[in-house]
Amino acid sequence: MSLVADLPITGRMKRGTLAGLVVLAVGVLCLLLEKSVPWLSVWPEAWTIPATQWIGDGLGWVLNGIKPVMRFVSWLLEFPMNGANWLLKSIPPLILIGMVTALGWILGGWRMAALGFLGLLFVLGSGYWLESMSTLALVFVSVPLALTMGLGIGILAYEYPSVKGVVNATLDVMQTVPTFAYLTPLLLLFGFGPVVGLIASAIYAAPPMARNVLLGLERVEAEVKEAAVMSGGTRRQQLFLIELPAATTQIMVGINQCLMAALSMVIIAAVIGGFNDIGWEVLLTMRKAQFGQAFLAGLVIVVFAVVIDRMSRALAVEHKARDWRPAAGLFAVSVVAWLVTLGSLPAPAEFNWFGGVAERVDQSVGDFTAANGARLDAVKNGAMFYGLLPLRIGLDQAVLPFTWGFAWTPAMSLWFFAVAAALSVAVFLTGREALAITIACLAIVIETGVANLPWPFLLTAVGALAWVASGWKLTRLCVILLALILISGLWERAMLSLYLSGAAVVACGVLGGLLGLWAAVSVWAWRVLEPVCDMLQTIPLFVFLIPVLMFFQIGEFSAFLAIIAYAIVPMIRYTRHGLVTTPPDLIEAATASGATGWQMMREVRLPYAMPTILLGLNQTILYAFAMLVIAALIGTTGLGQSIFLALGQADVGLGIAAGAAMAILALVADRLVQGFASQQRAALGL
Amino acid sequence: MTSAVTTRGLWQVFGAGAKAALTRELQRGAASEDVASVLRAEGLIPAVQDASIDVGEGELFVIMGLSGSGKSTMIRSISRLAEPTAGEVIMQGEDLLKASKARMTELRRTKLGMVFQHFGLFPHMTVIDNVAFPLKVRGMGRKERHEKVREIIEMVGLAGREDAYPRQLSGGQKQRVGIARSLAGDCEVWMLDEPFSALDPLIRRQLQDEFLSIQEKLKTTILFITHDIAEALKLADRIAIMRDGRIVQIGTPTEIVLNPVDEYVREFARDVPKGRHMTLAEVMEPLNGAVPTDGPELSTSMSLEDALADCALSMQPMAVKDGDGKVVGLVRPELFARALGAQG
Amino acid sequence: MKRMILSGVSVLAMTCAASAAELGAVDEPIKLAINEWTGQHISTHIGGEMLKAAGYKVEYVTAGYMNMYQAMADGDLHAALEIWSSNVSEDYAKQVEAGGVVELGDLELDAKEGIAYPAHVAEMCPGLPAWEALKDCAANFASAETLPMGRLVDYPADWGTPGADRMTGLELPFKAVPAGSEGALIAELRASTEKKSPLLITFWQPHWAMSAYDVQFVDLPAGEAACFEDASWGPNPNAVNDCDFSPTRIFKGAWAGMEEKWPAAFEILSNYTLDVSVQQPLMGAIDVDGGSVEEVVAAWMSENEGVWKPVVDAALN
Repeated sequence: MSLVADLPITGRMKRGTLAGLVVLAVGVLCLLLEKSVPWLSVWPEAWTIPATQWIGDGLGWVLNGIKPVMRFVSWLLEFPMNGANWLLKSIPPLILIGMVTALGWILGGWRMAALGFLGLLFVLGSGYWLESMSTLALVFVSVPLALTMGLGIGILAYEYPSVKGVVNATLDVMQTVPTFAYLTPLLLLFGFGPVVGLIASAIYAAPPMARNVLLGLERVEAEVKEAAVMSGGTRRQQLFLIELPAATTQIMVGINQCLMAALSMVIIAAVIGGFNDIGWEVLLTMRKAQFGQAFLAGLVIVVFAVVIDRMSRALAVEHKARDWRPAAGLFAVSVVAWLVTLGSLPAPAEFNWFGGVAERVDQSVGDFTAANGARLDAVKNGAMFYGLLPLRIGLDQAVLPFTWGFAWTPAMSLWFFAVAAALSVAVFLTGREALAITIACLAIVIETGVANLPWPFLLTAVGALAWVASGWKLTRLCVILLALILISGLWERAMLSLYLSGAAVVACGVLGGLLGLWAAVSVWAWRVLEPVCDMLQTIPLFVFLIPVLMFFQIGEFSAFLAIIAYAIVPMIRYTRHGLVTTPPDLIEAATASGATGWQMMREVRLPYAMPTILLGLNQTILYAFAMLVIAALIGTTGLGQSIFLALGQADVGLGIAAGAAMAILALVADRLVQGFASQQRAALGL
Repeated sequence: MTSAVTTRGLWQVFGAGAKAALTRELQRGAASEDVASVLRAEGLIPAVQDASIDVGEGELFVIMGLSGSGKSTMIRSISRLAEPTAGEVIMQGEDLLKASKARMTELRRTKLGMVFQHFGLFPHMTVIDNVAFPLKVRGMGRKERHEKVREIIEMVGLAGREDAYPRQLSGGQKQRVGIARSLAGDCEVWMLDEPFSALDPLIRRQLQDEFLSIQEKLKTTILFITHDIAEALKLADRIAIMRDGRIVQIGTPTEIVLNPVDEYVREFARDVPKGRHMTLAEVMEPLNGAVPTDGPELSTSMSLEDALADCALSMQPMAVKDGDGKVVGLVRPELFARALGAQG
Repeated sequence: MKRMILSGVSVLAMTCAASAAELGAVDEPIKLAINEWTGQHISTHIGGEMLKAAGYKVEYVTAGYMNMYQAMADGDLHAALEIWSSNVSEDYAKQVEAGGVVELGDLELDAKEGIAYPAHVAEMCPGLPAWEALKDCAANFASAETLPMGRLVDYPADWGTPGADRMTGLELPFKAVPAGSEGALIAELRASTEKKSPLLITFWQPHWAMSAYDVQFVDLPAGEAACFEDASWGPNPNAVNDCDFSPTRIFKGAWAGMEEKWPAAFEILSNYTLDVSVQQPLMGAIDVDGGSVEEVVAAWMSENEGVWKPVVDAALN
């Protein structure tokens, strides 16, 4: 924030101060009137509209209308899916391993070949070969679907700039509404079976492709485009012969991202069932709380993700043409190996190389719990009493004799506010208005608790932030969206979600930032952290719920940790990326000026990386919201729970409404951070 | 002339295992050309080979070469922005390559200043903060350092733009900031890496002139990198010409123009109007008792071009006087013709 | 408990003397739903093998328990053989009402739900398993989220809130915390057993974890119908739900078109019942001893032909 405050945009400080003062005034007013005007804290039931009901009815009508068409689509999609499934399962494992190894060699030499070989060998050894092939079949169909959708959407937005706003909003919705929220309508539309999982993962995986296509096309140099025009090509020729090929590098990034997103969604297919895939194994073992086995099944997905990611990335960077003969040799070896072992090799499902390891891992989780029970409880209670509880319900309710050792009295509230006010005024007088107002507002939040915040205060605060970050347009958008949550009666649950993901985001910001910094200064640290990040992003997160539950039991703290485990990754990645990509000329200039390593970090690299770090924070926020649904599996309340309730009861309206509320929270946070990030970029002249 | 910076057998080789390979080859005692070709054959890149220069106190020493000739690597090796593979860099009796990291930081703060081709300005700092950065990292307080750099900012002609950000400046102004920043630390050796190459010709000339007048004032030792022969000839006391990582010739501008050691250097000098860089002192003949006719006033420091303009119509030998007005030699028209004929 | 074990010998009670039925479309596979838990796998595989013995093709299809009824109404799934009344999706009732799904009668698997605890907890709360004991030792079960009340780990929210209802009805000082998933319930049991920490949990049997973690039920006043309607009934005169869980019914459901397409199969599955004393050991053979469902069921089928064969024969002849 201090950076923002240092910016020279005249009137900017005044603007921030003005907005801050308005928020503060509303906050104080709400606190004063809290007792006499109850509807300030709790939106009255009578004022809510039955939005869930309306959505349910409206959608039901629409869904029934388009159902026949979608059933036909579903029927069509089953052909490629069953075909891929049949093909993958009929190829003997050894030969498939040979093919992937050979492909690896062509794409990236011996290293890639080794990766492909070891990866698939692991899959075979795990005993989940058949299930894995089902999963791959799903991916093979959903990815082309997502790629086509993404390409189409990207080109559409590029060709018709007037629809770009709408397209972007649609992509945001596709990425932020949790898949679980629309599973019920999808089931209704497409019928039972893997096709639903396929569609769900295509919906989730298409946006990265669309965004990269659009970005790539927009970045094609004007001269290239002009040359295409002057060569007399039709618009279509220009696009397909010149502009798309010129944007290839960026589009390849899109394909890579699309693959990863599709893979991270395969578990959804398992929730519906109908397809004996690896996700189903994860769910079964998860249900039995067998961490080792669930982890093993999850690792199979990670292995696929890593192999596919590295290979598709190798495809994206230009590589020298390789001799095909070693590839052919590798393939030939695999055929020979298959022929030699024909009949003597056990069936793929019989392999169980890692069963013992899995059991030991499982056992050690139990042993650790047994040995450290008291310590784990102490950690949990400390975090709950002094961190999470006050944040959720405020000091006034969280401070109790059996938590803090004394009871909170109204007098203490007065003192607390007096001290905060004094501090704030003191800071204000030193000229740091933004910090002063932040302190005052934080005091209100901590005393009241996020879940009990008066809604006018929160709406004003978000509106003011939006105004400072971007302008009236954003303010209007944010306030209207949040008001929708308010009047649809989901406010209370939304605040619980906001509190939990907010706390997790703050923790991720601090912890992930530090880890990113560490990874930026130490090559070794990154070597350790990178595979961990890869794993955290691709393993079905259900898997990690088990040890977290064993250690800390059901409840908010476990959910908090689970969200962090997932959402911290972008923070680490982007912080490191921003820090290590400081332009070399800046580093040289700082070195030549006599800056030490840490001076360079603090004065040059960190400020320069700030926009990238903010982008990471933005991603972390989106991830934290995405993870809320999964966290509901360990018993959190809030919107995530509502989505599961809706799923269980096939309640289309509640599912969509809760999903939309979650998307709204994520979108508002996303827009705010992006507003600040683009200011930062402009300030750096990027 | 005492030397301010001396390099001895400086090598900069890039690639995995460069150091071991170089040490091995050097111990064998082969000529540096052979060493370089062995290294190349191993897939290594010898960017600077066996470079030895001697820069005098207060001298403006220019290193010139085409892009890829190793000149930028050379200056980075001297300032240790890139760690050299072998050799010595001696400054005031101290071998910089043996200096600890902390000592190097110390030296950069107090003795070395550097200007970069692409300015290397910190986008998040104002002009004055950029210039004062070397003082900030020394731990000087905000007020003090700002006061101190105000004069420098004025000297480079940026007074009034102290609170602007780099993105608000033109290219020429940016490089003025870069120059001011490199001077903020009161350096003793001033290194400039193609400082004016990214600027358009008019601005370049203007900055060159200002640069010379700053040098006039400060009299620091300067290592100046350029790929522009005209710039080198205009600024340099002495020029080192680099090609493919080797220094092929060191000499004064005139020596370079008149006596190029090889085709490569000659190619450089080809388009140089020689009359502009040769003085009468270099073409005149001794008097040997002859008494030249009176004619236009000619002095030893006059360029051929100027002298020609003054005595184009004269067919007689003419007297050349030294700085004190004493006649020290004579020039005849055929001497002009011969000198200029050497060109091309 | 005892009653169940004693009756285990006559596993399949023949409810009626079935009349002979047509086989129907034997070339098309009958798709049976495989849900997320082992007991259900056993029930389904036994039923499926019976159909195979009758000459049908059977396909086992994995299906999410909560979301499978739409598929059943569409004819994409044909039968589910273990549906628990305690946590059946509301969608089931909707589909039955709409006519797409029909009930196939009870599986007669004797299930019990209740408030439970791992055996070691008895020491921490003297007087257990009597429910009254919980009144005084609630503080021992307290946690950060529930202080000062005790903590009861309840079913996931989408299964309903039976645990919370009991606590309110009996005025016990416990706050119910929804578990979120079955995995979470098991993890709680496991952690409590490992750490020897207190735990009160809503749980059910048959379940493999009952024996694995030595889980005991709390004795609550019998769950009669009156308890759930009449506030004055039971120990708390002011509330309903002041008693044990209402007995859980486990039944079978099928696609409405099944009777017409595969009449004999419809009859076999309608008459198919399974006793808890059969299912429980088979569950152990799979979850504890690591056998596969197919092998374990095949072994049982071959050893107990006399138990299941009559049902198949009755439908065919």
